[in-house]
Amino acid sequence: MDSISKKYIEDSRTQVTIIASVCAATLLSAVIAMGLGSSSTLDSISTIKIMFGLESGSDLQSAIIWELRFPRVLMAVIGGAALATAGALMQGCLGNPLVSPLTLGVASGAALGAAFAIVLGISIIPSLAIVANAFLFSLVVVGIIIQLGNMRSVSAESYILVGIAITFISGAIVSTFTYFATDAQLSQLTHWSFGSLSRPSLSNVVWISAAIICLMPSAMKWAWDLNTLSLGGDDFAISSGVDPSSTRRNILVLSALMTSIVIAFTGLIGFVGLAAPHMSRLVIGNDYRKLIPCSAVFGSFLMLFADTVGRTIFAPVIIPVGIMLAIIGGPFFMYLLLQNRGVS
Amino acid sequence: MTSLLKIEGLEFSWGSNQVLKDINLDVGGNEFVAILGVNGAGKSTFLKCINRILAPAKGTVEISGRNIADMSLMDLSKATSYVPQSVRTSFSMSVFDVVMLGRRPHISWRISDDDHERVSETIRFLGLEDFAFRKFDRLSGGERQRVVIAKAVAQDPMLFLLDEPTSDLDLRNQVSIMKKIRHIVSDVESGKSAIVAIHDINMAARFADRVVLLDGGSIKADGTPSEVLTEANIADVFGVSCDVIPEEYGLSSSLQVLVKDEIEK
Repeated sequence: MDSISKKYIEDSRTQVTIIASVCAATLLSAVIAMGLGSSSTLDSISTIKIMFGLESGSDLQSAIIWELRFPRVLMAVIGGAALATAGALMQGCLGNPLVSPLTLGVASGAALGAAFAIVLGISIIPSLAIVANAFLFSLVVVGIIIQLGNMRSVSAESYILVGIAITFISGAIVSTFTYFATDAQLSQLTHWSFGSLSRPSLSNVVWISAAIICLMPSAMKWAWDLNTLSLGGDDFAISSGVDPSSTRRNILVLSALMTSIVIAFTGLIGFVGLAAPHMSRLVIGNDYRKLIPCSAVFGSFLMLFADTVGRTIFAPVIIPVGIMLAIIGGPFFMYLLLQNRGVS
Repeated sequence: MTSLLKIEGLEFSWGSNQVLKDINLDVGGNEFVAILGVNGAGKSTFLKCINRILAPAKGTVEISGRNIADMSLMDLSKATSYVPQSVRTSFSMSVFDVVMLGRRPHISWRISDDDHERVSETIRFLGLEDFAFRKFDRLSGGERQRVVIAKAVAQDPMLFLLDEPTSDLDLRNQVSIMKKIRHIVSDVESGKSAIVAIHDINMAARFADRVVLLDGGSIKADGTPSEVLTEANIADVFGVSCDVIPEEYGLSSSLQVLVKDEIEK
């Protein structure tokens, strides 16, 4: 084989090894995170032994492990992967490094839905009031994206501008609600907006995981098309056999769905969807065939790390993951970008 | 015999501004066609209409007997490859990755050994080995232009559509690239052709089999360089006076145009 091809294949293998290493580190971190918590009845070693069936724990210990910590850790892994993947997809198909899963207004729609449930008590499914409303309202935003995508000659910038408009409109309505809300409602709404992994139950997390795992292969399907779109724009994509309009619409709908599924249950978590793809770009480059899995594992790792720190650093007080991600991830992200300034 | 490219009654407008008017053109295999015209004559628009980047208002474009409106974009990109004047990058990739994008129409997901080999061959053919693994956005304008041409070559189409492919290149690379395009087009076995929008009349005269002169969105002249590049046509279209030195009198193997001055209107 030609020496240029050989080098390319060797580089690709190195990149796959990096992704596999981060994946292994994330799984290891998940096991460690399971052993960390504020319970005095359960230390780290016992937790790991009980998890792997090496020791039979008490009912309380089992409940802490399988009903409290496991859903939380799994949600961190799945939620982080989903939001980071959605961010990578959106940045690529809109050709804009500033885009995150919250840019299109999906999160604002979810916040509006949550506000309807919390302040007005209006919900389609009363037993799942906030979650159902948040999901439904974010789906309305997905519907707007589809309608926009069906229009002729809609540009990447149009999606971003419509997303900003939706964010402003939703924000204004939520502000109006907060103006008339009681203190208790205000507190609940504010807490929802922090983003926390403590809300979803085990059964919720299982359903969320199933949905995200089903959607992930679709994300990989678009990898080649994203490479052409993110490298050279619409003309370059068409000349490579990619229809930019339908591709962009389909990818945005997929990303918005992934985002909706997660934030309907967790509340607003934004930073991981912006930072994880960029961290991956710095490590692995911009080839979406590798960037998508790399962003997913980076997203899982970031979310898991932030949540574990958030629930242990001031235990028994738990700092919501949305806050911890920005506090821990923000400076780290800035450091990485400054270390590699000029790298795009 | 079926034309490689057959254009009938092609028209295109930006709003009320009609850019292309009743364009008719037949291009066979192994033809190097240079499109000449002033800025705004419709050269780029013409190329984009052949590649479905722009949708014509009227007329038909057929490639190997198939109407491009009925072809999928993937099939069309197997038949044609387009080199734009410039490429705006949002997220950069290595030169090898960019050239590999040319294989996109032939790849479902996995890259085969044949794809690797073709990309390597193309990189060597265009002399890009020294920066094959450098980031695309770290290259000079000329280097980028050569990489995008390499991507088009790796795409392995029957028809190349090149929009000012030498505009950012130094003199040596201008000649080198045109020779390479000429080399591809001259391969009788493959039957590939190229349509090249270009401003350098002498480069067109030297390398093209055929010159199409666009004026105000219409074809003013179409023929061999010596038929089209006359003093009268050049004065009329470009508004400059010139001396045309036929190849039998010149130092070059092709006719030469010596531009003298602009003509007062």
